Amino acid sequence: MVQAAVRMDEAELIRAAQQGDQRAFEELVRLYDQSVLRLATNLLRSHEEANDIYQEAFLRVYKNLHTFRFDCSFHTWLYRIVSNLCLDALRKRKVRREESSVVETSEGPLDRMDAVPERRADGDPERSLESKELKERIREVLNGLTPRERAVFEMRHYQGMRLRTIGEVMGTSEEAAKNCLFRATQKMRAALGDFV
Amino acid sequence: MTCEEARKNLPLFLYGELSFDEEELVESHMDGCAGCRTALAREKALFAALDQAETLPPPRQLERSRAELHRRLAAARMRSEVPAMAGRAPESNWWHKFREGFTIHFHFAPGLAQVAGAAAMLALGFATARMTPNSLFGNFHSAGMVDPGTSRVRYVEPLAPGRVQIVVDETHQRVLSGSLDDQAIQRLLLTAAKDPTDPGLRVESVDLLKNDSQSAEVRKALEYSLEHDPNAGVRLKALDGLKQFAEEPDTRQVLTQVLLKDDNPGVRTQVIDLLVQRHTDAMVGVLQQLMEKEDNNYIRMRCEKLLQDMNASVETY
Repeated sequence: MVQAAVRMDEAELIRAAQQGDQRAFEELVRLYDQSVLRLATNLLRSHEEANDIYQEAFLRVYKNLHTFRFDCSFHTWLYRIVSNLCLDALRKRKVRREESSVVETSEGPLDRMDAVPERRADGDPERSLESKELKERIREVLNGLTPRERAVFEMRHYQGMRLRTIGEVMGTSEEAAKNCLFRATQKMRAALGDFV
Repeated sequence: MTCEEARKNLPLFLYGELSFDEEELVESHMDGCAGCRTALAREKALFAALDQAETLPPPRQLERSRAELHRRLAAARMRSEVPAMAGRAPESNWWHKFREGFTIHFHFAPGLAQVAGAAAMLALGFATARMTPNSLFGNFHSAGMVDPGTSRVRYVEPLAPGRVQIVVDETHQRVLSGSLDDQAIQRLLLTAAKDPTDPGLRVESVDLLKNDSQSAEVRKALEYSLEHDPNAGVRLKALDGLKQFAEEPDTRQVLTQVLLKDDNPGVRTQVIDLLVQRHTDAMVGVLQQLMEKEDNNYIRMRCEKLLQDMNASVETY
């Protein structure tokens, strides 16, 4: 019942903002901007880049809100913009820093993350539990995921979004989002298996 | 289901993304396979480790980002990047025209129209000065044009070569006093309770409003603050005002959402204490859902205890 009331408030805010009500637009921003900043920060692991995404996303929303026709939820529409911006940033970064984990071999493209050993023979179990080392390892693993895998994983794991919604946001099917999440978690399990 | 299939499905199982039938297969396999139960425990440990690795924005980043967005939106409007919303072009919007009246345009090479405009502005300035109290405009410095006490240059935007556009914020203060029951006072408090720029103001406003939570409007505002305010102090004050309505279905629904979504353990702890005063079947589902993602030990213990008291399973999977 309250959920319906909240949605109605949001729809009213959108309509008011579409009519040029600046205060309504800013209130609309505040409904979602915390989670947008959180997603961008966690995905890009850079406060500066996350702020850039935040600015660009809401400026785009502002300029294009008049085209929003309630065909999908505002949340999905907004996250589509945010995830596209984040994916672009991650792809540029991959190219810039040559971070790609995919290498060409004589047997075709090989994802280096697939070759991460299940166990480290020389690993000290006590030390491996140290959170600093673990966090560093997780960061490495996340950098090794493809931008798409990374985005799907972040939205599911840290934002708690359902795969169906993630599919809508990414412009793909729920099944494709599921496969993407599956690959991401498989790589992480392979790389972090001996840390936990 | 084989062990290989079960283990392959563990992440989706933990995310609750398997179909009912798939979940049944995994669960029944787990019942009879100690090895896969160990694998599940390892998967949970991996999830917990990933939870710990989340990179969060610095404490004041959200405020900084909002302030920057505010400036950039003002600049976009100044450049007439306002979209033609609902068929209404910005130039034809009365607000645009009204706002234009408060925008200072400097034309370093003015044409005839600009001279005429400047003369009109000058005349308007004299008229305004005569009609308004000295306290508002009396202290303007001719050099700066802006009274630092009541005005602030919000944005400076270079236009074509030799031209600049300046957006000035002006604050006119008035002191109002009155009873908390006064509707005008209450409206101001409701507005202040949502002021995005000042968490301190929101805390005090919500604190005052919560004494009048019998009003439906106030209660709605408290529920909104509890659910959406980025500041935990404000949310706790709002929660305080809503305690007496913990049995009401609408408030209870909001409390449930907050319990599952709020990132502050202090808020979640108080909400759980409120909600479990009445044991309902719906609470079992909520507590089980919470157990899936809760990382605070105290809340987990509390949840477990409550579920046991209600003879419910601690886990949903």
